[in-house]
Amino acid sequence: MSKADKAWDPGNPDRLYIVTKGCEDSNKAMVRLDLVTLIVARTETDPGLQPEHGTIVRMCDYPLSVAEISAYLTLPVSTVTVLLTDLLTRGLVEARPPARVAALPDVCLLEAVMHGLQNL
Amino acid sequence: MVGTGSSSQVRRPASSLIWLVPPVVLAVCTATAALLVPTQVRIPTVWCGTVATVAVAITSSEAVRRGRVISGLRRRCAEQEAMYRELLAQQQEETERLAGVLLPTAVKMLEQGASAEEVLREVAPPASGAAFAAEHRSVLRSVVEAVQAEEGLRDSAHRAFVNIARRVQAIVHQQATDLREMEGRHGNNPDFFGDLLHLDHGTALIGRLADSIAVLGGSRPGRQWKNPVPLYNVLRGAMSRIMDYRRVDLHSVVDVAVTGPGVEPVIHAAAELLDNATRYSPPETRVHLTAVEIQSGVAIEIEDAGVGLTEEARRRAESVLEMGGRGFDLDDLGETPRLGLAVVSRLARTYQFRISLRPSAYGGVRAVLIIPSRLITASATPGGEIARAATLPPPKARKKPGRPLPEPPPLEATAVESRTAGGLPQRRRRSLGMAARAAVVAPADSTRSQRPASEPAQPGMWLDAFTSALKGDDPKPGHGQVSDDTSDKKE
Repeated sequence: MSKADKAWDPGNPDRLYIVTKGCEDSNKAMVRLDLVTLIVARTETDPGLQPEHGTIVRMCDYPLSVAEISAYLTLPVSTVTVLLTDLLTRGLVEARPPARVAALPDVCLLEAVMHGLQNL
Repeated sequence: MVGTGSSSQVRRPASSLIWLVPPVVLAVCTATAALLVPTQVRIPTVWCGTVATVAVAITSSEAVRRGRVISGLRRRCAEQEAMYRELLAQQQEETERLAGVLLPTAVKMLEQGASAEEVLREVAPPASGAAFAAEHRSVLRSVVEAVQAEEGLRDSAHRAFVNIARRVQAIVHQQATDLREMEGRHGNNPDFFGDLLHLDHGTALIGRLADSIAVLGGSRPGRQWKNPVPLYNVLRGAMSRIMDYRRVDLHSVVDVAVTGPGVEPVIHAAAELLDNATRYSPPETRVHLTAVEIQSGVAIEIEDAGVGLTEEARRRAESVLEMGGRGFDLDDLGETPRLGLAVVSRLARTYQFRISLRPSAYGGVRAVLIIPSRLITASATPGGEIARAATLPPPKARKKPGRPLPEPPPLEATAVESRTAGGLPQRRRRSLGMAARAAVVAPADSTRSQRPASEPAQPGMWLDAFTSALKGDDPKPGHGQVSDDTSDKKE
């Protein structure tokens, strides 16, 4: 964490509240986005976008979770959530619920079946 | 002297003849009288005439001698008067020179940091009129010493200012770093995070004030930047240091970077101008901020929709901008210190910025800050730098829906390997996807495929590992796991 801060510090005079344009208290976003919500872009990058928005749109060419976006941008999740809410409102990205673990076949069950087959 | 001497020599025969006239006339009269009078009184008459003639001759010769002495004295007196007049004029001229030329020069030299001896040697009065040159020199010396003492006092006051400002800056910087760390740590809690951002903003405002004091004390503002920073981020840095940053609209910004030494001055000057713009315009209006490239550098334009400056206020502001660089007195910090323009002018003088304040089309003020091209360089990250640009583009093969998958061959290979190793068609999804992704991303990296294979596949752990890995030392395993998982979902 501290290393990430050092990397941020010498290169960038921005502060986080500027990145979110001071709308950090938009609580409505929190209900819809959690760490594992997948974000995927709906459009190509628009040069008029704020750099953070543009980068998210470019990154989410392929579905990425909110946590991943946060980690790539080295921005806290709350900041990313605000940015994503903005993008969602403008229809530039869409949010998908995460793939449910329960829908995938259980590994233990598969292993049991495999062992059963081996024992035949 | 020579002229008067020659004239007296010429006049001398005439004057020497003149004194003979009365005795000669008297002698002629005596002789005539002696001829005309009867013979019995002739003897006494001749005696009387002779005595009178002698007396007249003595008197007239004495009168002529005295006249000569008087004229000599008068001549000497005139000569002396002329000499004194000349001396007086010279002295007056010297005094005027002392007041009009020497003292201002000396004060200016002292202001530029010359020592008293150096100044005295440089602006010593000329040797002529040795009598009062010494006095002038002593006057000059006492003035120079007084001025130097005053300059020293001002210098030490400045140093004290800068010293205090530096301490505040250090604390503020530490605070900002801590806050940034806390923001990262508590990023998941929106309420807490919002409060932290609020504190962060307050700290930035304190930092700007400390920077202003340091600049007015004759020092450079705040911290130094080693690498060039994109102008976009510089302007956002300036926005982050004012109270009403929400009202600033950052429009198109030319794609250049500001060199390291220029970053902080530009941020600070732009922040002060933005602060003026937001402070002197109604709270519901917007402030527009753009940056365009011009022949001599980059022009940053700040336009507000306030009441604008009257002609007189504009003149006053420009005079502050002009003279602000000359020096800063403690008197300038009045009850309501308006430091903004003084700070900007100080920075402008040091870094050769140019500033103009003109009426805006919106009715407010249009401030243009011109950054000289020597502080401008090409931008390494077009469009502005985002957090950590180095890790930004995730180096993975992106799959567009509908496009064929780019990595079938390595997938096949690993699938075959796992089959031969196990003896049975085992599906090790994680290691398989991992290997496939790793092969696509960086075929040379062999360490990556081993690590996830040894780990047990635990649902949910990938996320933690991913975030910590990206922020930590080694982003590679985290990255591998991510791609692994995404390929999972694709499957």
